[in-house]
Parts: sequence; C-alpha cells; structure tokens
Amino acid sequence: MMNANPNIPDEVRAVAADGTQLRYALMEMAREMDDVIALGRGDPDLDTPPHIVEAAKAAIRDGRANPTPVKGMAALREAIADHMRAVNGLPVGADNVMTTTGGQEGLFLAIQALIDPGDEILVPDPRYSSYDDAIRRAGGCMVSVPTNRVEAFNLEADAVEAAITPASKALLIVTPSNPTAGIVTEDRLRAIADVAIRHNLIVIVDEIYGKIVYEPWRHFSIGSLPGMAERTITLDAFSKTYAMTGWRCGYVAAPADVIEAMARIKQVTTGPVATVSQWAGLAAISGPQDCVSAYLKIYTERRGVLLDGLDRMGFAYGEPRGGLFVWADCSSTGIHATELSYLLLKEARVLIFPGTAFGDAWREYVRITMLEPIDTLREAVERMLPVLDRYRL
Amino acid sequence: MHTPKQLARPLAQRVAGLNRPPPPSAEPQPIPTNVIDAALAALDRGETHYTDRPGIPEFRAWVADHLRERYNVSVDPAEVTITCGSTEARYVCLTHLVPPGRAVLCPGDESRIRGALHLVGARIVDSIRDDVSLLYITPDIYRETSMELLQRAEDEDWWIVYDLSFAKATAPFHPAQNPKLASRVVTIDTLSERMAGWRLGWMAGSEMALRLRAGKQAMTICTTAVSQWAGLAWARTTTQ
Repeated sequence: MMNANPNIPDEVRAVAADGTQLRYALMEMAREMDDVIALGRGDPDLDTPPHIVEAAKAAIRDGRANPTPVKGMAALREAIADHMRAVNGLPVGADNVMTTTGGQEGLFLAIQALIDPGDEILVPDPRYSSYDDAIRRAGGCMVSVPTNRVEAFNLEADAVEAAITPASKALLIVTPSNPTAGIVTEDRLRAIADVAIRHNLIVIVDEIYGKIVYEPWRHFSIGSLPGMAERTITLDAFSKTYAMTGWRCGYVAAPADVIEAMARIKQVTTGPVATVSQWAGLAAISGPQDCVSAYLKIYTERRGVLLDGLDRMGFAYGEPRGGLFVWADCSSTGIHATELSYLLLKEARVLIFPGTAFGDAWREYVRITMLEPIDTLREAVERMLPVLDRYRL
Repeated sequence: MHTPKQLARPLAQRVAGLNRPPPPSAEPQPIPTNVIDAALAALDRGETHYTDRPGIPEFRAWVADHLRERYNVSVDPAEVTITCGSTEARYVCLTHLVPPGRAVLCPGDESRIRGALHLVGARIVDSIRDDVSLLYITPDIYRETSMELLQRAEDEDWWIVYDLSFAKATAPFHPAQNPKLASRVVTIDTLSERMAGWRLGWMAGSEMALRLRAGKQAMTICTTAVSQWAGLAWARTTTQ
C-alpha cells in the first residue's frame, strides 16, 4: 500500500475515499462538464452495421414487431445454436438456447435459476461488479479467486481449487475479462474443467467479448470440452461484437432444463426481448461477418495507441488480450487510483474508472476503455501526461 | 443435454411455482404511422447505443407530465425509470420493497404478481394481516375498498404499488394524491396494450425511486433504445 502523496490536496483525498461512490460521482461530474473524453463506460462508439439496422427497419415497416415466445423467435434461436456449434464448438440445439435482454440479464437469470441462499460462487478477482446484485439477491456468497498482472490475469485451476469449500456451487468466468482484458487460455480452461467436474461445479461463463480477441490469442469456450456442456451456462450478446448495446439483445446456451427454468423466470421478471431487437440480432448472427473483423482491426489500432500512452505515463499492465479495456497499475505515480481518476477528470477532462469499482483491493489500478476514435485517444493521452507530471511523486 | 441429477432437482423445485410461459398472441397489432416513423427516424439518427440508464429524458419528462396532468400527482422526472414492459417494473418493485417471508396485500387480480412474488419468497394475501409490507392495487378495485386499505397503509407504513397497466377504469384517482402517502407510492404503467412486442413500461415516484432505478439497471442496464423513441411518439399521440 502506498503512503499518502503530499502533492494531493485534502479535498481530492476526501472525494476519492469511497471508490464506488466516486464512480457515480465521476459520471455525474462528467455530465456537467464540456469537452470530456469519456474512457469510462463500456459502450462502443462505433455504430451498428447498416445491414443490421436495415433488417430492423424492415421488420418495423412490415409490422413484424409482435411479441415472441419468451425464449425468443424460433429462427433466431436456431441461428444462435448453429453459430455456437460452428464457432464455439458447443454441442447445442435450439432447445439449449434462449435470448435475453442483454448479456447482463443472462447472468441474472442463471443465478436466479441455480443459486440457493448460502451457495458459494467462485469469482475471479478483480471482477465485473455489476453482477454483484444478482448474486446477492439470490442469497449467494461470492468467494474471490485471485488473479495477477504477471500472469495477464489468466485464471489458474489451482487457485480455483484452493477456493472450493463444501458450499461451492458455481464458478463464474468472464473471458475476455472485464475489467482486466485478460483471457483464460485453452490450457487453463481444460485444467479448470477437470476441477469443475471433480467438484461438481456449475460453470457460468460470460463470453460477451469473445469475438474481440487480439492476435495471437484465441478465444476458447469451456462448454465445448467433454463433460462440460451439461454443467456450463454460456452467456453472450450482440452488444459488443456488433456495437448493439442499445438493442438489449443477448443469448444463453445451457442444458435444456436450465433454459426451461430461466425462461419461466424471465416470463415473470422482464418478458421476451423486444421483437425488433431480435430481428436485428438475427441479421447480425446470420449475415455477413466482415463488420466483426473490421471492428477488431479498429480496436487493435486503438489498443496500440493507448498502450504507447500508458508506457509514456509509466503505468504497468498485464497484456490486454481481449475486450475493450486496459487495466493499468498506476502505483508508479504515487497517486491512488481513486484520487487519480478524480484529478484526471477535473484537470484533464478525461473520464476513467478507478479499480476499486471492480474490487476493494484494486486501489492502484484504473480501467481505461478504448471506445473513442484514435485521434481522441491520442488527445486523451496528451491531456493526462501533464496532470500526472504535476502530481506524481 | 441435461444437467447432472444433483443439480436438476433443486432447479425443478425453484421454478415449480412458476407457470409455463403462455404462447404469445398471434393477432397482428397495427402501429400508428407516426410511431413507425419515429422508430425509423431514431435508427437513422443512430440511436443504437445505451440510452441514459433510467431512460431517455424526453420519455421520463412525458411520464412526469402525464402523472401531473392526468392525476394531479407530482413526480420528478429523475424519479421515473423506463422499463422492459410493466413486467420488469413489477418485479423490481416487489423484489426491492418486500422482504422475503413477508406478505403483499392484493385485493384484486393477483395473476400479474404471483410469479414475481414466488421468486422473491413472499406471499400474497387478500385481507389485512400483521406481516403485510406492501399494498398492490389497480384502478379496477372498488374505490371504497381502496380507500379503506389506503388508510391502513398510511397507519402501517406499507409501500403501495399502483399498477395502471391494462386498467379499464379511467377515473383520475391516484393514491399519491394523499400527501401522507405520496413518498411510499410507486406508479407502474405500460404501453404494451398497443405495443406489446416493443417491451416498454415505466415506474415512477416514491422515496425509493433511485434504488428501484438501480435495481432495473442491475438486471437489464437500460430499455431498448428504439422502443423508447417509438413509445415516446405513441405516448405523445395519446395525450394530444
């Protein structure tokens, strides 16, 4: 733990004392300020590809917007199952698939279906803390599994096994990870699958960034391994891959009885996905995929600019192998991440999130997104450097 | 492909109280031209990103205006959250306002809250009891019955959910017109009667409004952007 930096004014230290509150405060502040470069939230700045928008518009014009069954349109579920068989290697049919109102709802439904009060869920640390509410509401207990920068936040089977107790029910994996941008590699997933089978764990795997993986790394689906399909809930969505966050359309692959349970829960909690969004999703998953590789190329270039900038700032980071973030250690500056986030917004007009938003121990990390055009990212770096120089120890 | 037996049994128990989803209506529902135009225009503008988490400001302002003009009830637009149909609004309210093991007093049709309360672990009663935490009423309840129960709600500090969804009655009565109750009343409504496949509803008001908003955000982040723009056009049409 760093000592207090005498360059940081007391009022900054006071505002930054509570990481979660600070995250909301930063977003409120940013809303009130002009000319802020927002590198906080995970909303792709790129637009939904035109052929997907056109498919939705055709559905609206043709009056194809009536409610669907709660699991989703049959044609979309078939297309998702085909895709997950071909691309992810999952042994699934349409009975193993349902649509959800975005990826986050998939996690909510899985937790509601599978977790009883007192059940422990193993969660890699740092974590996507927006999932906390769903786990808490089901009475589940989160048990942290450590990951580290040296390993690029790649999850280790030994660390998973060490965290298992008689109350352990499930393991939650997010790969590529939000916030770390690490991936869980195939060799590690094979070892983790052995642990899951040996200890009868359910694996809930969030693969929403699975199509945004940087060379030479490859995404791998744990549900494709022998003996895993019957205990794996795979979450995915159109939101990040196709820049479709506002459509709120995701999907889940799971054993048929889990899908049936999740559908019954969805019926009384949110109802079916908006029909127009399902038509957009169908166009996305069954249409041309050039947009996916084109977007990946854009993100790859942005990632290079951001990493160059972080090198100039003296930040350390695990190699970001996938996703839309960089998870960087700012301890070399002598400024806590909470204070740094506040200072960068106030004085550089750049919004980033402190690591404490993703786990209490991450006071020396920040999450920075690459969801602005490349020139804007360059400008963000140039704005941040003098602020760092002013306050760094 | 099914789960191992050790996992399947608790799964079946968990959803035993939930009915199998009904098949959707096959009846086509014509949408007014201006609503279609608004949806198409929103997509042409690139409204395909997350909206403000509680909903687009224009729609929230419309809800606040509507409650004031129709019911003489004052709600700040910041206390309005646009939801995925009234189904989501009902679930979020019940799960945040009713502790497990407590009861919801429902003097009318309970079918819309039965499933959500099963998940919450609360029960439905049709008469006043000591363990009631929330009163769920709709405009279809006899006014005399409502007034009696609302008096009790005031005495007992119950939460009140006033569900306007699919209501046939049109009298401009609203429990939040009583200033002693207003901070504990959440209003729910939907546009699903005419726009069912667009999944659009809202919840508004109460001192818990910001926590309810956070509860919705934790489940689905925000409501479908194009649906919100279409719904706004529909809502404005109905109030012209």
